Amino acid sequence: MEVLLGITGKDFTLIAASKAAMRGATILKVSDDKTRQLNKHTLMAFSGEAGDTVQFAEYIQANAQLYSMRNETDLSPSALANFVRGELASSLRSRKPYNVNLLLGGVDPITHKPSLYWLDYLASLAPVPYAAHGYAQYYCLSLLDKHHQPDISLERGMELLRLCADELKRRLPIDFKGLIVKVVTKDGIEVKPFDEDAVVRGT
Amino acid sequence: MSSPFSINGGACVAMVGKDCVAIACDLRLGLQALTVSNNFPKVFQYGDNVFLGLTGLATDVSTVSDLFRYKVNMYRLREERHIAPRTFANLVSSSLYERRFGPYFVSPVVAGLDPTTGAPFICGFDSIGCIDFAKDFIVSGTATEQLFGMCESLWEPDLGPDALFETISQSLLNAVDRDALSGWGAHVYIIEKDKVTKRLLKGRQD
Amino acid sequence: MDTLVARYSRPAYHQNEVFSEQEQQDLNDTVPSLKFAMPPVAHPSAWLRAATDDRSNPSCPIKIAHGTTTLAFRFQGGIIVATDSRATAGNWIASQTVKKVIEINSDLLGTMAGGAADCQYWLAWLGMQCRLHELRHKRRISVAAASKILANLVYQYKGMGLSMGTMCAGVTKEEGAALYYIDSDGTRLAGDLFCVGSGQTFAYGVLDSEYRWDLTTEEALELGSRSILAATHRDAYSGGFINLYHVKESGWEKHGFTDTNPVFWKTKLDKGEFSNVTSNFTE
Repeated sequence: MEVLLGITGKDFTLIAASKAAMRGATILKVSDDKTRQLNKHTLMAFSGEAGDTVQFAEYIQANAQLYSMRNETDLSPSALANFVRGELASSLRSRKPYNVNLLLGGVDPITHKPSLYWLDYLASLAPVPYAAHGYAQYYCLSLLDKHHQPDISLERGMELLRLCADELKRRLPIDFKGLIVKVVTKDGIEVKPFDEDAVVRGT
Repeated sequence: MSSPFSINGGACVAMVGKDCVAIACDLRLGLQALTVSNNFPKVFQYGDNVFLGLTGLATDVSTVSDLFRYKVNMYRLREERHIAPRTFANLVSSSLYERRFGPYFVSPVVAGLDPTTGAPFICGFDSIGCIDFAKDFIVSGTATEQLFGMCESLWEPDLGPDALFETISQSLLNAVDRDALSGWGAHVYIIEKDKVTKRLLKGRQD
Repeated sequence: MDTLVARYSRPAYHQNEVFSEQEQQDLNDTVPSLKFAMPPVAHPSAWLRAATDDRSNPSCPIKIAHGTTTLAFRFQGGIIVATDSRATAGNWIASQTVKKVIEINSDLLGTMAGGAADCQYWLAWLGMQCRLHELRHKRRISVAAASKILANLVYQYKGMGLSMGTMCAGVTKEEGAALYYIDSDGTRLAGDLFCVGSGQTFAYGVLDSEYRWDLTTEEALELGSRSILAATHRDAYSGGFINLYHVKESGWEKHGFTDTNPVFWKTKLDKGEFSNVTSNFTE
């Protein structure tokens, strides 16, 4: 019941992840951050098998930072997405594959074009204008099909996230404890405040 | 758990015409019933007139297409010439057989024109590299039954480039409309002596 | 033979008895567990499941048509009922022109999800029961009663492999607009808004975001059809045509059986929705 959402707009990419850390029937933490910053313009959100997720994400994060230090330049989001896919694909045929689903969002440091990549644990990679993982896919993709436009503003992007969060609160049987929302722009990555007290009425 | 060949869905077809060949694929990337992306092409170009279509598990479609890009680039640097379709087909075959005991879950299709004679060349493979040479058409993916039916009824020998485009497009579009896991648009390449035409087809989006 | 005689030769005084008892009798007569031929094996239901469940066994010998999106919701102007029209057997699209709204009578509608044959047969049977009720009582059956007849029937067959998720929608003087969800587990729920089938979540996504009680009829029809379109786009097992109905106190009214393809491209190109789909054909 982990929720990952991603939306691209005119000059930004929004990434949102549920704050609940769940093990079995227990919620261990209500302020979990399921994202890692890879470099100044790229953010990765992850869900999947406990342990694998953070291990894999931090391994990727370390390699991305190593590249930045060695070459004094950052990899673009598309380059990172293909690097991550390669790592995940070789892990898939290893003795113990990582079971991790990812969303990789960023803004190209040169062209300032926002981009979003969808990756599942099989290392299938798809560039998309908006994406989700887990059960959120089944509720939010149709919603975003209707309301998303390629040139939306950040305010509209936040409204769309609100719409998605409300639908998930209404229909998912388990509380995912709200979303942590981060935005990637040409100036870097920042956390956006996201109100989670609003009560959603069911039908 | 369903077969790795039908998790993501997809269809590909290649056809021979008169002094030309055509290769086409759908654009869907799915996860069982869910459609994730409508922009996942399965035909890749290696050189002037060598094309590879890959259907099956999406991760292996990417892995295998990347692998051949590397191998074909290395070939070109070493030999200082482009790879011929028949040579490429043998490269595909032996590369797939290297994974005999842990195969890539893909069904490749090769299409191209012989660089010296200009003769059309198409062939298909199973996932561990058995080559299936054909004089008419090759199909692969989750809509193979439907594609065989369409191709058997529409294809005829010595079609010109325009007629071939019409034939391959109708075959693919009508086949994927009867398959739940493929469709959502298509790419078609018509390969002639000194010209490659790429077209995007508007398909049903359900 | 005795059962035949008993059925057709009934003493005259029985005819004048209270309806409920006879109704009960008729109901029992038509609950025909013995009329269905059973497979000659020790556990018929387990055998049937092994032979027909293509989810757990993709190469099962008998493939039953599955996969659907249906929705219905109540609003100020009555009830909107909408469905797609695709039937799939495995990944094979068996039909794109299935009628998944079943017209039980001139003011009661049923929707079809799950086993196509199960739904068609039992909703036709429900139509018969409703007509019998009407003849006996000289007035139309309530939606509550009709849905309960169906719920009780499927409950009798629980565990035998029936597969149906259905909605009954109707407007009567006593109840107003009434909507019930019934499935083959025996669940029966009254409610304002339901989506059923493999594409249900996609339909919920769009429907929930714009649903209000005071929708105008035009808005409600558009919302119903847009929600089905959303589901046909994302769910591989939904597609074909949008079948749209409006149920009012004067009975139901059909609002077309529309191909999704032109509707999709119109929605995309005019309103700029579905930005995930490439439409740059010139490249």
